[in-house]
Amino acid sequence: MRLLLLLFLGLFISCTAEKSSKETAKDNQSITLYTHRHYDTDKAIIKKFEDKTGITVNVVKASADELMQKLESEGDQSPADLLMTVDAGRLVRAKEMGLLQSVESDFLTTTIPEQFRDSDNNWFSLTKRARVIVYDKNRVNADELSTYEALTDAKWNNKILIRSSGNIYNQSLMASIIANKGKENAKIWAEGMVNNFARTPKGNDRDQVKAILAGEGDLAIVNTYYIGNMINSEDPNEVEAGNAISIFFPNQAGEGTHINVSGIGITKYAPNKKAAIEFVEFLASKEIQELFAEANYEYPVNPNAESSELLKSWGSFKEDSLALAKLGELNKEAVITFDEVGWK
Amino acid sequence: MEIKTKVTFKLKHLKRDSNQWSFYVLAIGLFISIPALSILFYLFNGVGEMWQHITTYFLFDYIKNSVILILGTSLLSFSIGTSAAWIVCKYDFRFRSLIESLLFLPLAIPSYIMAYTYVGLLGYQGLLIGWLQAIGLPLQKIEMMNIQGLIWVLSFSLFPYVYVGAKTMFISFPKVIQETATLLGASSKRYFFRIALPLASPAIIGGLFLVIMEVLNDYGAAKYFGINTFTTGIFRTWTALEDIQSAIYLSAILVALVFLLNILVKWYRRKKSYALRITTLEPEQRKRVLLSGKKKYVYYSILLIPVLFGFLLPVIQLLYWGYLTFHTMFNTALLTIALQSLFVGGVAAFFIVTMSIMLVYFSRWNNLKYLNFFKRIATIGYVIPGAIIGIGIIRSSQSIINFFSDYIGLNIGFLFYGSSVVLIYAYIFRFLAVSYNPIEANSLKFGKYLSESSYLLASSKIKTLFKIELPLLRYTLVSSFLLVFVDILKELPLTLILKPYTLQTLATKSYEYADDERVAEAAIPALLLIAIISCVMIFVSYWNKINEKSPKEANRFE
Repeated sequence: MRLLLLLFLGLFISCTAEKSSKETAKDNQSITLYTHRHYDTDKAIIKKFEDKTGITVNVVKASADELMQKLESEGDQSPADLLMTVDAGRLVRAKEMGLLQSVESDFLTTTIPEQFRDSDNNWFSLTKRARVIVYDKNRVNADELSTYEALTDAKWNNKILIRSSGNIYNQSLMASIIANKGKENAKIWAEGMVNNFARTPKGNDRDQVKAILAGEGDLAIVNTYYIGNMINSEDPNEVEAGNAISIFFPNQAGEGTHINVSGIGITKYAPNKKAAIEFVEFLASKEIQELFAEANYEYPVNPNAESSELLKSWGSFKEDSLALAKLGELNKEAVITFDEVGWK
Repeated sequence: MEIKTKVTFKLKHLKRDSNQWSFYVLAIGLFISIPALSILFYLFNGVGEMWQHITTYFLFDYIKNSVILILGTSLLSFSIGTSAAWIVCKYDFRFRSLIESLLFLPLAIPSYIMAYTYVGLLGYQGLLIGWLQAIGLPLQKIEMMNIQGLIWVLSFSLFPYVYVGAKTMFISFPKVIQETATLLGASSKRYFFRIALPLASPAIIGGLFLVIMEVLNDYGAAKYFGINTFTTGIFRTWTALEDIQSAIYLSAILVALVFLLNILVKWYRRKKSYALRITTLEPEQRKRVLLSGKKKYVYYSILLIPVLFGFLLPVIQLLYWGYLTFHTMFNTALLTIALQSLFVGGVAAFFIVTMSIMLVYFSRWNNLKYLNFFKRIATIGYVIPGAIIGIGIIRSSQSIINFFSDYIGLNIGFLFYGSSVVLIYAYIFRFLAVSYNPIEANSLKFGKYLSESSYLLASSKIKTLFKIELPLLRYTLVSSFLLVFVDILKELPLTLILKPYTLQTLATKSYEYADDERVAEAAIPALLLIAIISCVMIFVSYWNKINEKSPKEANRFE
């Protein structure tokens, strides 16, 4: 019996044990990246980094919340060097939870504008996405559009499409409105939006664009990144829907269009901090920033980087200069407001 | 007072009654209950700060939706599952055995993938809509993204659980029952509703129980359709309201409800235990009535509906998307991922089946019967939302690592983070019930006589297990191994959070693209996953057919 148990245990370990990263990180050059981004572009970029520096990048992909939970539980034993998310809010939260550390890099502080990095340099934005209004070219005239707030006007009754409030991009938009206009006004705005919904929120951003083509509503609030992807999709239906709409950048006369960022921070217990900084600097470099724009339709944060043809064709716009940290701080408040007004 | 004396009485005889098996049961039981205990531990901290908000604004709504979903899905999958099972058991027709196997296959498609395919099929410019327009129907789209749509998707992906349960019962009915009914003048309709259905009800309810579990655990499909359920509420509480304490509380309520349901099912089964007694009678001759005439077409369509909506149409949609993205998505890296999935699934399924056998037999040999409550805990993992199990496991493994480094000075972190040990452990916790239940049920069928004869002939318990009991159970072992294997291949939340970075599975690969709203790109890994699972399922159904002989074998031994 004892033999059987031993055999069992031995098999269990031998079948599954691989070399630890925490160990390997110290012997040779490798870093571990926890990321919520799972784009093919990122894979190609990581490959470029590995070829250039000889540093191996181990990637763990899951949702930001799960990764943060993992980091917190792992504590100082964590193999992770970097945490990468698709929104600023999670990075702010990670900082609050004490999962990140301050980084000193002249390159990063000079390259990335102040608005797009943490005040203590705990995290850095890498790419920007704008949350814009898209509208049907025939049914809506661009002159009728102005701000997010104007969408609560009675003329848009039963015309607005947007996804559910469980989505982080909507939560960030709401947080920005709370920050800019105050909690009371934000709640009034949300109520007005709910009244004008063409349907109960459902599906993802792309589904909202498709619903415009299907005539379920006239305009939608979506992320620019998805429009780029739809226009270049392999699926002819998506291409058609992507081409049937125009993009409008709201709030140009006021604070500017709401933007959110994808960013990265170095973890508090990073086993290989030096290589991790090198990786972040690489991602912020002009060449890689242009790749983000070209292949993944995200706006670069590095002002020296050119954005792609497609992004340029949408025109330049005034960005909301609200400190991104606010989005994280007000995230919970935003969700509570959504619940209060019944935004599903 | 009486209880107290009872406990002291038990403790007094602890030494007398315990044996080595008690120790092993205790060890395995504790080993498996670690995540459940750690979640229990968090409950003592009370609810979190957002509890008031949760109960005011969404708890009621979320519970209501979950109840509607459960009722709707149960009703629809019950109708589909039992009618299909009845027809394939009672009648003979062309392609019967092909259709019988096809009816298993909806289980091969993860429900969130099925949700995406239905929006692709029936949405604006959808594939199926296009065909319907071509035959002259003036349709623009059929709205799937609502609660009816979700009931439809979940029912067609989960009805095989009911189908399998019903089919096993219908096939084992003694011949004498139908003969008596017919002699007494019952029509076949009356026979079905008044006799066959009530007799098969324990198995059907067992199947429905699994359907309800899956409905409660579904996150992807409900989230995509914008339906707020209890499970999406747990995630909202955890991630958006940043209140993990309340999220764990909500999970605990869910687990309590499922426990209650489980007790109800057990109670019902015991009440209807005549269904078990009849299996000792001579099983019905499997001579099926040949279908003909108008009836034939009606029955064919009853069978084709689930095959079409549960498997063929979603697969056609995936094939179309796969065709669009084939050139970018199909490469050797994907095959490596497929092999990795198979390997991890195989290793984990092996451990799960071994663990089930140990738990079944050790607890039988153990004399301290009260230790057997661990069996209950062992099956609890099937109902806790995956992400919550993930938290429980990460937290408890962290405590173990800290213990080793603080008190023993050993760094064992690499064992946990650099390998699949934790992931496989999580699979064991999650899926033990899937293999434990059939192994326990079938091991009871053979009775004690053979094992006792073997002990009389001076064989040890272990030797008897390997020489007699396991060989008798071989069919059950293989089929439960494969069922666990299939579940692991489809598993998503635990795999995402606990896997080492060198590992990727087809499910995580497909999810990555779907999560980024690139459904067409998700199709190729999803199709590969479905193909592998389908092969396994077809093998299981073939294997079960051979197995149909074995109850007879068992009877002979008694």
